[in-house]
Amino acid sequence: MAVDVFRRRGDGSVVVTLDADTFEVLRSTAREVAAIVAEPPDQEVSDRLFPRAYLDPTEEQAEQELRDLTHSDLVQTRLTALEAVTDDLEIREVGRRGRVEIVLAPGQEQLWLTALNDARLVFGTLLGVTQDEQADYKATDPRYEYGVVYRFLSALQQELVELLLGEMPPGADEEF
Amino acid sequence: MTSTGTGTEEIVVPDTVEELLGGEDVRPDVPWIVIVWDDPINTMDYVTLVFQKLFGYSHAKAQRLMLQVHNDGKAVVSSGNREKCEVDVIRLHGHGLWATMQKDD
Repeated sequence: MAVDVFRRRGDGSVVVTLDADTFEVLRSTAREVAAIVAEPPDQEVSDRLFPRAYLDPTEEQAEQELRDLTHSDLVQTRLTALEAVTDDLEIREVGRRGRVEIVLAPGQEQLWLTALNDARLVFGTLLGVTQDEQADYKATDPRYEYGVVYRFLSALQQELVELLLGEMPPGADEEF
Repeated sequence: MTSTGTGTEEIVVPDTVEELLGGEDVRPDVPWIVIVWDDPINTMDYVTLVFQKLFGYSHAKAQRLMLQVHNDGKAVVSSGNREKCEVDVIRLHGHGLWATMQKDD
Protein backbone atom coordinates (compact mmCIF):
# COMPACT_ATOMS: atom_id res chain seq x y z
CA MET A 1 0.00 0.00 0.00
CA ALA A 2 1.38 3.37 -0.99
CA VAL A 3 1.67 5.97 1.74
CA ASP A 4 -0.94 8.72 1.97
CA VAL A 5 -3.61 7.24 -0.24
CA PHE A 6 -5.92 9.83 1.32
CA ARG A 7 -4.55 13.32 1.86
CA ARG A 8 -6.54 16.30 3.18
CA ARG A 9 -5.82 19.60 1.50
CA GLY A 10 -6.13 23.07 2.99
CA ASP A 11 -9.47 23.68 1.25
CA GLY A 12 -11.00 20.60 2.93
CA SER A 13 -10.95 18.41 -0.15
CA VAL A 14 -9.30 14.99 -0.03
CA VAL A 15 -6.90 13.73 -2.67
CA VAL A 16 -7.01 9.99 -3.30
CA THR A 17 -3.91 8.56 -4.97
CA LEU A 18 -4.17 5.06 -6.38
CA ASP A 19 -2.23 2.83 -8.74
CA ALA A 20 -4.07 2.48 -12.04
CA ASP A 21 -4.60 -1.28 -11.55
CA THR A 22 -5.99 -0.98 -8.01
CA PHE A 23 -8.22 1.76 -9.35
CA GLU A 24 -9.86 -0.69 -11.74
CA VAL A 25 -10.33 -3.21 -8.93
CA LEU A 26 -12.03 -0.57 -6.82
CA ARG A 27 -14.36 0.49 -9.59
CA SER A 28 -15.55 -3.02 -10.41
CA THR A 29 -15.83 -3.79 -6.69
CA ALA A 30 -18.11 -0.79 -6.08
CA ARG A 31 -20.41 -1.95 -8.88
CA GLU A 32 -20.43 -5.53 -7.67
CA VAL A 33 -21.19 -4.54 -4.08
CA ALA A 34 -24.01 -2.21 -5.20
CA ALA A 35 -25.69 -5.15 -6.95
CA ILE A 36 -25.36 -7.27 -3.80
CA VAL A 37 -26.72 -4.51 -1.52
CA ALA A 38 -29.71 -4.06 -3.84
CA GLU A 39 -30.34 -7.81 -3.89
CA PRO A 40 -28.44 -9.80 -1.23
CA PRO A 41 -27.59 -13.30 -2.52
CA ASP A 42 -28.37 -15.04 0.76
CA GLN A 43 -29.81 -14.52 4.23
CA GLU A 44 -26.41 -14.29 5.87
CA VAL A 45 -25.35 -11.28 3.80
CA SER A 46 -28.78 -9.71 4.25
CA ASP A 47 -28.63 -10.19 8.04
CA ARG A 48 -25.13 -8.71 8.16
CA LEU A 49 -26.07 -5.60 6.18
CA PHE A 50 -29.48 -5.22 7.79
CA PRO A 51 -29.45 -6.84 11.22
CA ARG A 52 -32.43 -7.06 13.58
CA ALA A 53 -32.76 -4.20 16.04
CA TYR A 54 -34.65 -6.24 18.62
CA LEU A 55 -33.42 -9.64 19.80
CA ASP A 56 -36.50 -10.15 21.98
CA PRO A 57 -39.02 -12.16 19.91
CA THR A 58 -41.94 -10.52 21.76
CA GLU A 59 -40.88 -7.25 20.10
CA GLU A 60 -41.58 -8.65 16.63
CA GLN A 61 -44.16 -5.96 15.90
CA ALA A 62 -41.76 -3.15 16.83
CA GLU A 63 -39.07 -4.87 14.75
CA GLN A 64 -41.33 -5.00 11.70
CA GLU A 65 -42.50 -1.41 12.12
CA LEU A 66 -38.93 -0.18 12.44
CA ARG A 67 -37.89 -2.21 9.43
CA ASP A 68 -40.80 -0.89 7.33
CA LEU A 69 -39.83 2.63 8.34
CA THR A 70 -36.08 2.44 7.75
CA HIS A 71 -35.13 -0.42 5.43
CA SER A 72 -35.47 1.35 2.08
CA ASP A 73 -33.55 4.37 3.44
CA LEU A 74 -30.73 2.10 4.64
CA VAL A 75 -30.55 0.46 1.22
CA GLN A 76 -30.63 3.83 -0.56
CA THR A 77 -27.93 5.37 1.66
CA ARG A 78 -25.63 2.46 0.90
CA LEU A 79 -26.32 2.56 -2.83
CA THR A 80 -25.78 6.33 -2.90
CA ALA A 81 -22.35 5.92 -1.29
CA LEU A 82 -21.34 3.13 -3.67
CA GLU A 83 -22.56 5.11 -6.67
CA ALA A 84 -20.68 8.20 -5.45
CA VAL A 85 -17.47 6.17 -5.33
CA THR A 86 -18.15 4.74 -8.77
CA ASP A 87 -18.77 8.27 -10.11
CA ASP A 88 -15.64 9.66 -8.44
CA LEU A 89 -13.68 6.92 -10.16
CA GLU A 90 -15.03 7.87 -13.60
CA ILE A 91 -13.00 11.06 -13.87
CA ARG A 92 -9.35 10.22 -14.14
CA GLU A 93 -6.11 10.75 -15.84
CA VAL A 94 -3.29 8.31 -15.40
CA GLY A 95 -0.41 10.39 -14.16
CA ARG A 96 3.23 9.81 -13.43
CA ARG A 97 4.33 6.26 -12.59
CA GLY A 98 0.86 4.93 -13.39
CA ARG A 99 -0.77 6.76 -10.50
CA VAL A 100 -4.29 8.09 -10.55
CA GLU A 101 -5.32 11.10 -8.49
CA ILE A 102 -8.93 11.82 -7.61
CA VAL A 103 -10.06 14.91 -5.72
CA LEU A 104 -13.00 14.43 -3.36
CA ALA A 105 -15.05 17.50 -2.40
CA PRO A 106 -15.07 18.19 1.36
CA GLY A 107 -17.30 15.62 3.09
CA GLN A 108 -17.34 13.27 0.11
CA GLU A 109 -14.79 11.07 1.92
CA GLN A 110 -17.56 10.03 4.34
CA LEU A 111 -19.30 8.32 1.41
CA TRP A 112 -16.05 6.51 0.63
CA LEU A 113 -15.87 5.39 4.26
CA THR A 114 -19.38 3.95 4.06
CA ALA A 115 -18.80 2.31 0.69
CA LEU A 116 -15.49 0.75 1.72
CA ASN A 117 -16.97 -0.64 4.91
CA ASP A 118 -20.04 -2.03 3.16
CA ALA A 119 -17.77 -3.70 0.61
CA ARG A 120 -15.78 -5.27 3.46
CA LEU A 121 -18.99 -6.43 5.14
CA VAL A 122 -20.22 -8.06 1.94
CA PHE A 123 -16.97 -9.77 0.96
CA GLY A 124 -16.04 -10.62 4.55
CA THR A 125 -19.39 -12.34 5.03
CA LEU A 126 -19.22 -14.18 1.70
CA LEU A 127 -15.66 -15.33 2.50
CA GLY A 128 -16.56 -16.35 6.04
CA VAL A 129 -13.87 -14.15 7.59
CA THR A 130 -13.19 -14.88 11.26
CA GLN A 131 -11.16 -13.12 13.98
CA ASP A 132 -8.28 -15.53 13.38
CA GLU A 133 -8.49 -15.79 9.60
CA GLN A 134 -8.52 -12.44 7.82
CA ALA A 135 -8.88 -13.73 4.26
CA ASP A 136 -5.20 -14.58 3.84
CA TYR A 137 -5.71 -17.62 1.61
CA LYS A 138 -3.29 -19.79 -0.33
CA ALA A 139 -3.16 -19.17 -4.08
CA THR A 140 -4.83 -22.56 -4.68
CA ASP A 141 -7.81 -21.65 -2.49
CA PRO A 142 -10.91 -20.77 -4.56
CA ARG A 143 -11.40 -17.77 -2.28
CA TYR A 144 -7.93 -16.43 -3.04
CA GLU A 145 -8.92 -13.66 -5.47
CA TYR A 146 -11.68 -12.26 -3.31
CA GLY A 147 -9.37 -12.60 -0.33
CA VAL A 148 -6.88 -10.30 -2.06
CA VAL A 149 -9.65 -7.79 -2.79
CA TYR A 150 -10.88 -7.96 0.80
CA ARG A 151 -7.43 -7.25 2.19
CA PHE A 152 -6.93 -4.43 -0.31
CA LEU A 153 -10.23 -2.86 0.80
CA SER A 154 -9.19 -3.31 4.44
CA ALA A 155 -5.86 -1.55 3.91
CA LEU A 156 -7.55 1.26 2.00
CA GLN A 157 -10.19 1.73 4.65
CA GLN A 158 -7.60 1.74 7.41
CA GLU A 159 -5.80 4.63 5.69
CA LEU A 160 -9.02 6.64 5.56
CA VAL A 161 -9.99 5.75 9.14
CA GLU A 162 -6.61 6.92 10.40
CA LEU A 163 -6.97 10.24 8.57
CA LEU A 164 -10.48 10.79 9.99
CA LEU A 165 -9.59 9.66 13.52
CA GLY A 166 -6.80 12.23 13.55
CA GLU A 167 -9.30 14.95 12.69
CA MET A 168 -12.03 14.14 15.22
CA PRO A 169 -12.88 16.91 17.71
CA PRO A 170 -12.09 16.16 21.38
CA GLY A 171 -15.77 15.40 22.08
CA ALA A 172 -17.89 15.51 25.19
CA ASP A 173 -17.38 12.87 27.80
CA GLU A 174 -20.60 12.89 29.77
CA GLU A 175 -21.92 9.56 30.90
CA PHE A 176 -24.94 8.31 29.02
CA MET B 1 -49.69 -12.30 22.05
CA THR B 2 -47.87 -15.59 22.21
CA SER B 3 -49.80 -18.81 21.93
CA THR B 4 -48.35 -22.12 23.00
CA GLY B 5 -49.75 -25.56 22.27
CA THR B 6 -52.24 -26.48 19.57
CA GLY B 7 -55.92 -27.31 19.16
CA THR B 8 -58.01 -27.59 22.27
CA GLU B 9 -55.08 -27.25 24.59
CA GLU B 10 -54.19 -23.75 23.46
CA ILE B 11 -52.91 -21.55 26.23
CA VAL B 12 -52.67 -17.85 25.53
CA VAL B 13 -50.22 -15.83 27.56
CA PRO B 14 -50.09 -12.06 27.40
CA ASP B 15 -46.49 -11.11 27.10
CA THR B 16 -46.46 -7.36 27.38
CA VAL B 17 -47.98 -4.86 29.75
CA GLU B 18 -49.76 -3.38 26.78
CA GLU B 19 -51.59 -6.64 26.08
CA LEU B 20 -52.39 -7.24 29.75
CA LEU B 21 -54.10 -3.89 29.97
CA GLY B 22 -56.17 -4.35 26.84
CA GLY B 23 -54.29 -3.09 23.80
CA GLU B 24 -53.76 0.56 24.57
CA ASP B 25 -50.21 1.79 24.49
CA VAL B 26 -49.67 2.31 28.17
CA ARG B 27 -46.06 1.17 28.15
CA PRO B 28 -44.13 3.00 30.80
CA ASP B 29 -41.20 4.97 29.47
CA VAL B 30 -38.67 2.44 30.73
CA PRO B 31 -35.07 3.02 29.77
CA TRP B 32 -33.69 1.09 26.84
CA ILE B 33 -30.09 0.31 26.06
CA VAL B 34 -28.24 -0.07 22.77
CA ILE B 35 -25.71 -2.88 22.58
CA VAL B 36 -22.95 -3.26 20.00
CA TRP B 37 -21.75 -6.83 19.46
CA ASP B 38 -18.30 -7.98 18.40
CA ASP B 39 -17.88 -9.12 14.82
CA PRO B 40 -14.86 -10.30 12.85
CA ILE B 41 -15.07 -7.74 10.04
CA ASN B 42 -15.25 -4.23 11.49
CA THR B 43 -11.80 -3.09 12.59
CA MET B 44 -11.00 -1.67 16.02
CA ASP B 45 -10.12 1.77 14.65
CA TYR B 46 -13.25 1.88 12.50
CA VAL B 47 -15.50 1.03 15.47
CA THR B 48 -13.77 3.73 17.57
CA LEU B 49 -14.29 6.27 14.79
CA VAL B 50 -17.99 5.41 14.47
CA PHE B 51 -18.55 5.83 18.23
CA GLN B 52 -16.88 9.25 18.12
CA LYS B 53 -18.72 10.30 14.98
CA LEU B 54 -22.22 9.18 15.97
CA PHE B 55 -22.22 9.91 19.69
CA GLY B 56 -19.64 12.67 20.02
CA TYR B 57 -17.68 10.63 22.56
CA SER B 58 -14.08 11.53 23.27
CA HIS B 59 -11.43 9.33 21.71
CA ALA B 60 -10.67 7.81 25.13
CA LYS B 61 -14.30 6.90 25.79
CA ALA B 62 -14.87 5.60 22.26
CA GLN B 63 -11.76 3.47 22.54
CA ARG B 64 -12.80 2.12 25.95
CA LEU B 65 -16.19 1.06 24.54
CA MET B 66 -14.54 -0.46 21.46
CA LEU B 67 -12.19 -2.50 23.68
CA GLN B 68 -15.16 -3.67 25.73
CA VAL B 69 -16.85 -4.87 22.53
CA HIS B 70 -13.62 -6.56 21.44
CA ASN B 71 -12.79 -8.21 24.77
CA ASP B 72 -16.22 -8.97 26.25
CA GLY B 73 -18.07 -9.52 22.98
CA LYS B 74 -20.44 -6.59 23.54
CA ALA B 75 -20.85 -3.17 25.13
CA VAL B 76 -23.69 -0.81 25.99
CA VAL B 77 -23.02 2.27 23.88
CA SER B 78 -26.09 4.43 24.46
CA SER B 79 -29.41 4.50 26.29
CA GLY B 80 -32.67 6.39 26.43
CA ASN B 81 -36.31 5.92 25.51
CA ARG B 82 -37.39 3.47 22.83
CA GLU B 83 -37.46 6.01 20.02
CA LYS B 84 -34.00 7.38 20.75
CA CYS B 85 -32.55 3.88 20.89
CA GLU B 86 -34.22 2.94 17.60
CA VAL B 87 -32.57 5.97 15.98
CA ASP B 88 -29.18 5.01 17.45
CA VAL B 89 -29.50 1.37 16.36
CA ILE B 90 -30.39 2.31 12.80
CA ARG B 91 -27.51 4.79 12.57
CA LEU B 92 -25.15 2.06 13.82
CA HIS B 93 -26.59 -0.37 11.25
CA GLY B 94 -26.02 2.27 8.56
CA HIS B 95 -22.37 2.26 9.60
CA GLY B 96 -22.18 -1.51 9.43
CA LEU B 97 -22.03 -2.22 13.16
CA TRP B 98 -23.98 -5.09 14.65
CA ALA B 99 -26.26 -3.29 17.13
CA THR B 100 -29.38 -4.35 19.00
CA MET B 101 -31.60 -2.76 21.65
CA GLN B 102 -33.37 -4.07 24.70
CA LYS B 103 -35.08 -2.94 27.88
CA ASP B 104 -32.65 -2.06 30.63
CA ASP B 105 -33.80 -4.66 33.16
